[in-house]
Amino acid sequence: MESLALSLVKSFPALSAAPMWAVSLALMVTAGVVVLVFALTFEGVGSLVLRKVAGDIQARIGPNRVGPNGILQFLADGVKLVLKEDLIPEKADRFLFKLAPYLVFVGSFAAFVVVPFGVGLSPADLNIGVYYVMAVTSLVVIGVMLAGWASNNKWALLGGMRAAAQIVSYEIPVGMALIPAVLVAGSLSLQDIVRSQGGLLGLFGWNLFHNPFTFFSFILYFTAAQAETNQTPFDLPEAESELVSGYNVEYSGIRFGLFFLAEFGDMFIVAALATACFLGGWNVPFFNAALLPPLWGNLLSLGVFLAKAFLMVLVMMWVRWTLPRLRVDQLMRMSWKYLVPLTFVNLLGVSLWLLLFRGKGIPQMIASVFG
Amino acid sequence: MGLKGYIHDIVEAVVTTAKGMRITARYGVDPKEEVTLQYPEERWEIPQGYRGFLHNDIKACTSCTMCVKVCPVDCISLEAVRGADKKMVLASYDIDIGRCMYCGLCVEVCPPKSLKHTSGYEMASVSRGELVLHFVPEDAAEIKARVARQVAEAAAKAAEAAKAAEAAKAAEGSAEPPKPAAGPPEPPPATEKKE
Amino acid sequence: MTIRPEALPTQEMTINMGPQHPSTHGVLRVILTTDGEVVVRAVPDVGYLHRALEKIGERVTYAQFMPFTDRLDYLAAMNCNCAWAWAVEKLAKIEVPERAEYLRVIVCELNRISSHLIAFGSFTADMGAFTPFLYAIREREKVNDLFEMICGNRLTYNYARIGGVSGDAPPGFLEKTREFLDYFEPKLDEYNNLISYNKIFVHRLANVAAIPGPEAVAYGLTGPNLRGSGVRFDLRKDEPYSVYPKLDFNVCVGTGERGKLGDCFDRYMVRINEMRESVRIVRQALEQIPEGPVLAKVPRVFKPPVGEVYFRSECPRGETGIYLISDGSTNSSRLKIRTGSFVTMNIFEKVTRGLMIADIVAVIGSFDIILPEIDR
Repeated sequence: MESLALSLVKSFPALSAAPMWAVSLALMVTAGVVVLVFALTFEGVGSLVLRKVAGDIQARIGPNRVGPNGILQFLADGVKLVLKEDLIPEKADRFLFKLAPYLVFVGSFAAFVVVPFGVGLSPADLNIGVYYVMAVTSLVVIGVMLAGWASNNKWALLGGMRAAAQIVSYEIPVGMALIPAVLVAGSLSLQDIVRSQGGLLGLFGWNLFHNPFTFFSFILYFTAAQAETNQTPFDLPEAESELVSGYNVEYSGIRFGLFFLAEFGDMFIVAALATACFLGGWNVPFFNAALLPPLWGNLLSLGVFLAKAFLMVLVMMWVRWTLPRLRVDQLMRMSWKYLVPLTFVNLLGVSLWLLLFRGKGIPQMIASVFG
Repeated sequence: MGLKGYIHDIVEAVVTTAKGMRITARYGVDPKEEVTLQYPEERWEIPQGYRGFLHNDIKACTSCTMCVKVCPVDCISLEAVRGADKKMVLASYDIDIGRCMYCGLCVEVCPPKSLKHTSGYEMASVSRGELVLHFVPEDAAEIKARVARQVAEAAAKAAEAAKAAEAAKAAEGSAEPPKPAAGPPEPPPATEKKE
Repeated sequence: MTIRPEALPTQEMTINMGPQHPSTHGVLRVILTTDGEVVVRAVPDVGYLHRALEKIGERVTYAQFMPFTDRLDYLAAMNCNCAWAWAVEKLAKIEVPERAEYLRVIVCELNRISSHLIAFGSFTADMGAFTPFLYAIREREKVNDLFEMICGNRLTYNYARIGGVSGDAPPGFLEKTREFLDYFEPKLDEYNNLISYNKIFVHRLANVAAIPGPEAVAYGLTGPNLRGSGVRFDLRKDEPYSVYPKLDFNVCVGTGERGKLGDCFDRYMVRINEMRESVRIVRQALEQIPEGPVLAKVPRVFKPPVGEVYFRSECPRGETGIYLISDGSTNSSRLKIRTGSFVTMNIFEKVTRGLMIADIVAVIGSFDIILPEIDR
């Protein structure tokens, strides 16, 4: 942020009069607002796309009444959510009840900060990016538990408890599955991880193709991350056919809306991390975006990143509308008996590979054979 | 569970998931698989013999009350009076379609086939009273009064005619013993009311 | 899977599941006593949908009760219609024209398909997979179209009559039925690929609430729930009525292919396989159906002789038995209806002990209960 502020001051001499901290602050606020607008738009459009995908898969049409082809449905939904009466159960813990949705939303939204949207387009390129995402997304669990507890509803309580067990269990495989990408890049910064996948036509440099173990870690990450963010088929905290709606059963209006937005935000974060760590991030296949003039390169890489991330989101929706839900003990077993050992073995494999082949991936080796 | 079972579990999970996802993907991609009927704009073809709202053709109705008797939920109410020509005149014929369960028993028993199911199935109302279909447009009391009047007129005419005939007969042959003045008075118009 | 509650002693909690719970298939109320996620006791509380159908049956005439049998099990109204007609015909010893019997068998088996489709669809929806539910609904719509063609309604058919059926099949009905069967049969394989053998789905159902055969018999389970426990008992075979003896079909029983015999998965698979058998039955019936009248001569004021009768027939949710006492008047003097779902609720408390909350949903789904049958 500071470097950006410096360059801004340099290019616009008029700004030099203002104190440095003010420029930085203004930039931060702008970046925050831009990301918030993006997140909210994505979450709105995401809900529409989810319903459209559901319609397509289920041999029906999906929303098609509001606006042409139903594309304004999410606005109607949003207006409805905002206008609905905000009910708080009489015996609920009012303070915690009100606090919980914010915690959940903040936990999900804060992860957007380090997402590498494009060349140099990170709201904040933290040098501990991966670690940061892991940390803030697990903040969600507190919100979910609070919501379950504060609602003073037994179904909500069960949902909250399930969420706590689930999110904490799946932290480990998620982290372990991301480490191979960190190892290959040698950095925790997401921008660095993306940059390290840039070579070889911008396609074969991807960690996905680096070696068999990274390929598996992509699959493991994708599975575990869906569970960590409570996506179907791992949506036990809000299993509507068992717990009615789980932890958010007593919420209505905009408070429910925040849970709803956070769910889609999580979806995007999972997709964005998978893209950044395994699918080459903003690297454009067969083209080097960094060579273009700055603005165009930024925009092109942004477009490519979003396209990849949305593709992953679509895959998540596809999975969601196909699979049934696990039971809570099976979910735990899947984490501790399958995903955790597998990610550890996988991590070992990646480490050995990097050690044996001096950090070279299979495409790189093939390329070096052909000169 | 040995290692073999462990790996078999994982492989089975992946394979069966992939199988299912292939099917959903096919449905997701293929636009021909959509079966939704966009209801108010598109409608399905209603087959012959569809059991929609009931309609009674009151001109053909003979007020036999078969439908009233057979209805399991008593949703048909019928009022009829005996007219001057000894035929039943419908005073009111109401069907409470809020109660009707469209079983079609009444249509089956209707002797003159005046009661029929239509193909209508759309109706909305804000009160239950509006769900009662009235098939006789006029007011029941008015019809009854009118029929009673007609019956009375007819009775009076008949009585006059009888008197005239009597007088004529008396004039013709005074030798014959006089008959009692007139027949017993016309019975009051029969009112049948079934609920 | 069963977890011993005594392993982790904690405070018990009583939760009210229903009557407005999405997975209780209506207004069933289950009082759960749970220890965390583990169910210590699940007591079903029935009666929220009681409409006194049996009493109504004593107040209206025999013919008038036909539309009420639609409401006995609204997902299999044809079967209930025919059960009532068969019972009254047995009481009054009425000969039914053969064409009418074939039409009844055709519509009954079609209705069995549509009812099992709902069972399959809502069961998968309870398990969290919503897509198969909509596929099942789509197929059921086609059956409804057929029924709309033959009797004019889509849900409450009122098709059977004492002495036959209300009307002959309209032209094109038999061909359309054949078309539907050709369309439907491959869909069953698709369901199996999509969900039946899905690892998660199998894991959710296998070994859950296994009922051994003798116990199922002792508790009076009937229909697919009994056959799921491996007991080969089907009234269509063992106490044949109508034209079923002339038709060749298998009785599907649970085999314990993915777990213990008689678990939820077996009950589920019995239904899937029964749909295939029903397709076979309808095909044969379509081949054999003779020409002729469809309604026997029955006096308009129908008064069966004094006597009593018990007739049971195989409905999609088990045996529907109709016990009638006639005093020679136009109404029955006593009517008792035995339904599969109601009897099934007896064993509910026993099999759900020690399961998890999510399994309760699986058990309800696998029993395929329907509330109008439970409460009548």
